[in-house]
Amino acid sequence: MEINNQSSGERKLQCNDVTRCFQLLESILDGDLGENGKEVLKEKLDKCQPCFEHFHLEQAIREVLKTKCTKQPVPTELADSIRQMIQESK
Amino acid sequence: MSEVQRRKYTQEERTAIFDGEFMPHIDSMYNFAFRLTFDEDDAKDLVQDTYMKAFRFINSFEQGTNAKAWLFRILKNSFINEYRKKSKQPAKVDYQEVETFYNSDDVDYQSTTDLRAESVKDMLGDEISNALNALAVDFRTVIILADLEGFTYEEMAKILDIPIGTVRSRLHRARNLLKDKLKGYAQSMGYNTDEEEE
Ligand SMILES: [Zn+2]
Repeated sequence: MEINNQSSGERKLQCNDVTRCFQLLESILDGDLGENGKEVLKEKLDKCQPCFEHFHLEQAIREVLKTKCTKQPVPTELADSIRQMIQESK
Repeated sequence: MSEVQRRKYTQEERTAIFDGEFMPHIDSMYNFAFRLTFDEDDAKDLVQDTYMKAFRFINSFEQGTNAKAWLFRILKNSFINEYRKKSKQPAKVDYQEVETFYNSDDVDYQSTTDLRAESVKDMLGDEISNALNALAVDFRTVIILADLEGFTYEEMAKILDIPIGTVRSRLHRARNLLKDKLKGYAQSMGYNTDEEEE
């Protein structure tokens, strides 16, 4: 999805219904609205500056959590020890 | 609890389900366990316990359904029932978080942070992880499930045994708390967090 970062000039600076809008944006980002969300999203992002900013912040948070959170390497013997416990319990 | 009476799996089927549907999730399971306990040995025990239970109750698992969600639910319940009690370090409770959490079911969407998307993107993995780990366990959990593991609201509701509306509001609160912590890092790094420069 291409979102033009520059053209904030035409957006209104006050959001009419922050609670409804932000909840909607967050549901869209969380994939809860499926395809239906996409049209609504475009409308909001084109016309409302607070929605635009909130969306990008929320998107960035999700992105860094997904990509940057340090992963803990799984101990190599864990899978084997589980299989062994299962064997012994049979 | 009324168990749905399914036909019992044969020995071969049990092994096939266990190896084919359960074991592939061991990475996610271990990371979830570690983020709950912050201890390698506890995380290992928790994952082992979970797999033992999964095997013992394998007949209540419907083959081909969401094994990962099923396993996560077992792990989360084991953590609450056993590990939370005997945890080596007493649970760090952030009273402000708990208070906000229990006092209302309505979520305040008005409270906007002045954190900027750009400064979030510039943060290091360690800063993100530390901020996440600093959250109270209930908030940490929903973020792990949603953002790190990609579960849907519906799956999270089942894993956590809470209504979908509660998933949504808890997740919203959790991310707001996370933003507050990230804002602290952003400020200490000298990123611009102000609304608008004149
Ligand atoms: Zn708006």
